[in-house]
Formats: sequence, C-alpha cells, structure tokens
Amino acid sequence: MSQFLQVVILGVLLGGVYALMASGLTLLFGVMRVVNIAHAAFIVLGAFFTFFLWESIGLDPLLGMLVALPVFFVFGALLYRILFPRLEGSPRFSEMTVLLTFGLAFMAEGLMAYFFTGIFRQTAPSYQVDAFRFGSFFVPAAQFYALLGSMVLLVALWAFINFTHTGYGIRATMQNRTAAQIVGVDVRRVSIISFGVGMALAGAAGALVSFLFPFFPARHWQWIAILLSLIVLGGLGSLKGAVVGALTLAVVSSLVSQYTSPVWSPMVFYGALFLILLVRPQGLFGKQGRI
Amino acid sequence: MADEVKEAMTATTSTAPIPSAVDPSVARRRRQVRVIVASTILILVLLLPLYRSMDAYNYVLQVGVSIFTWIALASSWNILGGYTGYISLGHNVFYGVGGYFSALLLIHFGLSPFLTAPLAGVVALSLGLLAGLVTFRTQGPAFIISTIALLFIVLVWFDTWSLTGGSNGLSLPVPPFPREWLRAPFYYAMLAAALVAVWLGHRVQHSKFGLALRAIGSDQVKAEVAGLNTRRFKMLAFALSAFIPGAVGAIFAYSISYVRPTIFFLIAIGAQMVLMAIIGGRGTVAGPVIGAALVILLNEASLTYLGATELNLAVTGALLVVVLLFFPGGIVGSLRERGKLPAFLDWD
Repeated sequence: MSQFLQVVILGVLLGGVYALMASGLTLLFGVMRVVNIAHAAFIVLGAFFTFFLWESIGLDPLLGMLVALPVFFVFGALLYRILFPRLEGSPRFSEMTVLLTFGLAFMAEGLMAYFFTGIFRQTAPSYQVDAFRFGSFFVPAAQFYALLGSMVLLVALWAFINFTHTGYGIRATMQNRTAAQIVGVDVRRVSIISFGVGMALAGAAGALVSFLFPFFPARHWQWIAILLSLIVLGGLGSLKGAVVGALTLAVVSSLVSQYTSPVWSPMVFYGALFLILLVRPQGLFGKQGRI
Repeated sequence: MADEVKEAMTATTSTAPIPSAVDPSVARRRRQVRVIVASTILILVLLLPLYRSMDAYNYVLQVGVSIFTWIALASSWNILGGYTGYISLGHNVFYGVGGYFSALLLIHFGLSPFLTAPLAGVVALSLGLLAGLVTFRTQGPAFIISTIALLFIVLVWFDTWSLTGGSNGLSLPVPPFPREWLRAPFYYAMLAAALVAVWLGHRVQHSKFGLALRAIGSDQVKAEVAGLNTRRFKMLAFALSAFIPGAVGAIFAYSISYVRPTIFFLIAIGAQMVLMAIIGGRGTVAGPVIGAALVILLNEASLTYLGATELNLAVTGALLVVVLLFFPGGIVGSLRERGKLPAFLDWD
C-alpha cells in the first residue's frame, strides 16, 4: 500500500509538469484552432536555452525559467505574426496549422541537432539529487520544485485569462471567434498574444524539463505524442481538461510502469487516446462538436 | 446522386477546370503529348538497368528504387490525404506492418517477398480498416492526432514484441540473385508498385468514387446531405491507401535484408509521404510523382554535397513551411492555377 501511494505521489509530481507542458498547446487550440505539433520542439528549445544560461553564467534553471518567459513570448508573437496570417481564411485552417507546425518541428529539430548536437543534456542544480522525506514517503526535491513552478505558472495563466482585459478577449475568442470580432475584440491581437503566451509556457516548461529529464533534439516527438494524448483526453482547448488529463495519465502510467514494465508506460497515453476517441471523441471537458 | 455531388463540387471548388469545358481538339492534343511523354519516360526507365556500363550503376539503380518506392507511398497517401483532406501522419504504419509480415513469412516459411507482397498489402489494408473504425470517429485535427497515436502504439508494440525481434529487429536471408544483377529485380518490382499506385490514383481521380472523396474533402456535411455514406467512402479510401504501402514495405524489407522498428515506424518516414504529396500537389495524379522524385533527388544531392543529415531535416521542414504558405496547391496545383501546367503533367 505504501509503495502504491509512493508511486501515485511520483505520478502526481510528473503530471503537474505535464500539465504545464500541455497548457500552451491546449491554449493555442482553444483560442485559434492551432494544433502546434512543434510545441514540444519549442519545449526542448526552452530546455537548451536554460541549459546554456546555466552552463555559461551558472543561472539556476528555476531563475532561467523567468528569463525564458519574456524571451519566448516575443519569439512566439513574432513567429505568429510572420507565419500565420497567410493561413487565416484557409477553409481547412486547423489541418493547415498541423502541417505548418509539423514542418516547424522538423526545422527546429534539425537546427538544434546541427548547432547543439544530438547528445543527452541535463542541467544539474544542487537540489537535483536531494529529496524530502514525509514519514515513509519521499519526494525528490527537483520534482517538487518543478511542480511548484508549474503550479505558480498555471495559476498565473488562469488569473490572466479570467481577470484581465486581454484575458476576456481570449475567452471571448475561444467561445466564438466571429462573435468576439463583432463585439469589438481585436482577434488578430488576441491571437498574437495567445501565441506568445503559449510559446512562453513552452519555454518555461523547457526550463523545468531541463533538470527533470535528459533531453536531446529528437526527444520532442515522444513528448508531443504524450501531450497530444492528454489534451485529447481532457478535451481539446480546455485548460482544466489538460490539467486533469495530465494528472490522470501520469499517475496511471507511473502505476503501469511500476507494476508491469516501464516499456508499457507510454502505451497508457496512446491507448487512452484511442479509447477516449472511441467512447467520447470530444474528451472529458470538451464541447460537443468542437473537434 | 452523382449529379448532386458534381454540383456541390463545382460550387465549392474553383481551381480545377471542368474537363468538358476545354476545347475537344486541344484536349486531344494534350492527351497525345501526355501519352507520348509518359511512354518515352517509361521505356527509358525500363531499359535503364540494361545499361550496365554506366558509372555508379548500382547507385543509380538504388536511387531509382528509392524514387519508385516513394512515388508508390506518396501516391497511396494521396488517395486519402489528397482527396478527402483527412491527413494521416502515421501512414508508415502500413508500410512497416507489410514489411514485417513478408519478412516473417520469408524467415519461417521461405516464401519470397516478391510473391507475398500482395498479401502484405492485404494485411495492411485490414489494419487500415480496423484503425479506421476508431480514427474516423473524429475529423480535422483530432483525426491527425489519432494517426500519430496509432504510429506510436505500433512503434511501442514492435519494439517489445519477441516475434518481431523487438527493437533489434530481424535479419532476412540474402536474396538469391546473381551478384551483378542484385539490384535489378528490386528496381522492376518497385517500378511495378509505383505504376500500380499511380494507375490506382488515376482510376480514383476519374471515378465516381474519387468524386465522392473530393466531395467529402470540400464539404463533408454537404456531401452527407447529398446522400453519400461518407463513413463508408472514407473507410474504403483509408483501406485502399494502406494497401500499396504494405506491399512496398515487403519489397523494401527484402531489398535491405533486415527489418527494425526504427527504419519503418519513425514519424519522419510518414512525414516524408505527406511532404512529397504536398510539394507535388495534393489531390492530383502527377503531384506525388513529381514530389517524390524531387525530394529524393534533393536528398541525394544534399547528402552528397552537404553531408549533414541534421540540416537535411531542417531543409525538409523549411520546404514544407514554404510550400504551405506560398504554394498551397503544390507544384501541379500552382502551375494549373496560373494556366501554365504542361500537358504531360495534366492527368486530372
């Protein structure tokens, strides 16, 4: 029993980080129907960004996260401004964005592999090997700080969307793009800001990832497959869904990994995706007909 | 029923000119040019392996095999992705499953993959039908995501399955051909596969079935209102586009004498099919052929002169981005839009 609870604790810690990794992805889909296949590639880019800050000036990855946020926001906003207006008005906008970001993912992977090489990297701050003990359970310090960082950012995101003027615009655009435009929301501006925020979240997630997992450029395919499954489970475009999906699947996959074999743990994500498409294609918190 | 679909088609798509609107004598001349150019190319391609004294004979044949392989794969992908707009990013699943199937038959029963390739196609087709049951519950981005998930499920499965040798894969017996003619049988087999795939694409393009697929592609709701059983047509298209990759996978596995999950089930392999079809022109017969030849030749050139595979990957991605943003119709589509499509590319 205590081993079971220990595995659940580790699963929750992991799920909290997955939730942050997925939040930007689901936000982009919710606001502008963009499925950003390159999201995980930008997470890896964020990890490299933090890694080089840590290596060159010894900046702690958690502080590196704060640097990554604005840098990646600007990067995302620029990227959206340059690439996406040409696709607006295309009859199959979502599909086109999948293909476009698929191309971006290859570009990002290829360039990272060329400039940073394909070797495994990881930042190693002092707390990386520490652990807290609570009675008979232990919590790795790195995972704990990562969860904390993830929660702070997710709460900030939630507050931004629910209590700021721009947030109102984002939510209006999520509900109905045309109607939002009619009531005076500058949808283009909202899209640019959302893309920037999505990218900032990817950069921040990358900072956390940099000390949690060894990373290399091609790693992003594995992550994007996991992230896509959990946002489909939660309902594409739903932030709450992404968090619930992330926690559920991370816990289940940790249990599967513990009680069967680690090779089957990724199967949980893809299997869950197929299962949810069979029984409830709109996901847990998705609206009917949204996909 | 077909008339209604035709009406829906002409109302919603604008790029493709209606064939009957073209002056018949012009159409006849264009057809003649088409047939002459195509048969000339075909004869040259058929005779190429006999020209043994050329430089780098084996290399040239190998590039030919690659080009035919990818023509077959991209054309098959096009049947589903090009006409219905349902984009499968995990289409290499069928390619790999076909390869493994024939490899196992060769290892355990000594059956030549040249004979079992059609059977491998049928296995891939059945898998396509099975996967379609789940994936066609969704559309748009969720469909694409489900095809990626299918790919990863199959990857994990083959990575761990003892029958297929896990992640180490299996070695196949070396083909029993004389050394100096080792490449030629594969050359002709892949050429046959490519021809069948292009012929199939042509048949689909000029049939009511293809019309139905295009109707689904331009507006699924309207197609359903017009009385089409869209689910059945999509399933058929998915199965059909899985068949050739299965057969091609069988021959490919034999040609390299081993199978391993990472040569079939990498996402980059599926991406390549999509890239080729899009660069050449989705939903056209000639598009995937041009796209495949171009991408393979570019890859070979960049490997020879640049050497770095990482940059190759980046260039592939950049190419996809540029084509999507500036030439969404691909080479064939963009040329047609400007009225500059040469007759020999006009098979639609």
